[in-house]
Amino acid sequence: MNHGQQSGEAKHEDDAALTEFLASLMDYTPTIPDDLVEHYLAQSGFQCPDVRLIRLGAVATQKFVADVASDALQHCKARPAPVVKDKKQQKDKRLILTMEDLSKALREYCVNVKHPEYFADSPSTGIDPATREE
Amino acid sequence: MSLERRTHDGERKDPSSSSSSSYEFTHAAAKAAVAQICESVGYNHFKDPPLESLTGFAIQYILQLGKSAASFANLNGRSQCNVFDIVLALEDLSSGEEEERVSLESCSALRSVKLREVIDFVKISDGEEESPFLQTLPRFPVSYDERRKRMMMVPSFVEVGETPPGKHIPLWLPAFPDPHTYKETPMWIERGLDPRGDKIEQARQRRKAERALLSLQRKLVCRISSGGGGDRVWGDMDGGTVKEEIREEAESEEEKVDGVSVVEAFAPALEAARDEDQMAWKQQKKKKKPVGLSKLRGEKKFLGEPLDLTLQMKGEDRPLSLREEDRDDKRRRAEFILRQCMENPADLNQL
Repeated sequence: MNHGQQSGEAKHEDDAALTEFLASLMDYTPTIPDDLVEHYLAQSGFQCPDVRLIRLGAVATQKFVADVASDALQHCKARPAPVVKDKKQQKDKRLILTMEDLSKALREYCVNVKHPEYFADSPSTGIDPATREE
Repeated sequence: MSLERRTHDGERKDPSSSSSSSYEFTHAAAKAAVAQICESVGYNHFKDPPLESLTGFAIQYILQLGKSAASFANLNGRSQCNVFDIVLALEDLSSGEEEERVSLESCSALRSVKLREVIDFVKISDGEEESPFLQTLPRFPVSYDERRKRMMMVPSFVEVGETPPGKHIPLWLPAFPDPHTYKETPMWIERGLDPRGDKIEQARQRRKAERALLSLQRKLVCRISSGGGGDRVWGDMDGGTVKEEIREEAESEEEKVDGVSVVEAFAPALEAARDEDQMAWKQQKKKKKPVGLSKLRGEKKFLGEPLDLTLQMKGEDRPLSLREEDRDDKRRRAEFILRQCMENPADLNQL
């Protein structure tokens, strides 16, 4: 019984925190607009008149994209800097979202994305570098 | 993982499932949103292929989230989703390890790892500057398809403000057309029927017209008689009795008020005039017809009769000078026009 009461209390607290979070969602405007998220959710069968839940979906997606993008950014920064020709030029390379970084980042999410080579000049083109050496 | 399969089919499925126009629009909007998120992460430049891929992933994420949440709601016997459905869907989509997964039977939703991550994310992002979507999106689905346009033009019951006939018809369906589009409904402005008043009004208007007609006739007669050869004019008619009758009738007409008596008064005169006209017509046929009279010969109205005869008489005097003929022509035309104006109330009287 005690355990039940405690869990009951914890539940109340959690509920209160949840409602607080949902209220705070209304202050924060996610980058993905509500209309767009609502359209896609409706396309998949999600029906809810509450705006807060749609915002929750938008925020979750934003978090997902931000995670992927930050991982790709890490890969981009980890790559060695290009050869500096001009002495005055600083070691400041432009951060460009490329397919290589994205594929490396997405591999952690178990998604295989490979940008095909422009043209294949040898039978071993496009194979994973690790196996290519073999 | 489930995402892997979907990346192959998802982008191929999307254009065929929805109309291409809405797909392009939403895809472009999603691309812009994803680019904005990447910019907030730290990127300055993007290449198109990775951006397209990331947009596709984001769209698939939302779609899968909605699908899982809807299925969880349906499992619990609900058609509308709530927050717990979304939390379960988030857990479902997470690629975390099995140990981290939490069942929400005993604990509340906040025990969910993914949800806590999302909350943290919001808190962190709230601390940084917010980056809402920069462009305003129109409310869609906006369809410019012609067939859809016609359907969109019809407002629903809710929009029109009508209650649908029958409880089985939901409010969001397009409203029924107005009954006058498919049924014959009376369109007159209803006013109180007043037959006696209408008759009195009608009689009054007739009297007014006849008074004007008579005054004009008197003026013309005076002009003709003063113009010379008045006796001659009337003399050609049967014994001038008709003329006297006419004069008497004209004088007595002033005293009479009822419109019907005018017709009675002029009836014998009319018959006489008609006979006379027919005879004159036959006579004229033998002679050569002057141009100006061709119009006048069709006249069978009483008002036209004395004038007809005068003009016939004048027509016979052909060796008159040309100037006189011109003047006569002009006068004839003017009188003809006057007669035309007077004919309309005269028609009413005869009817």
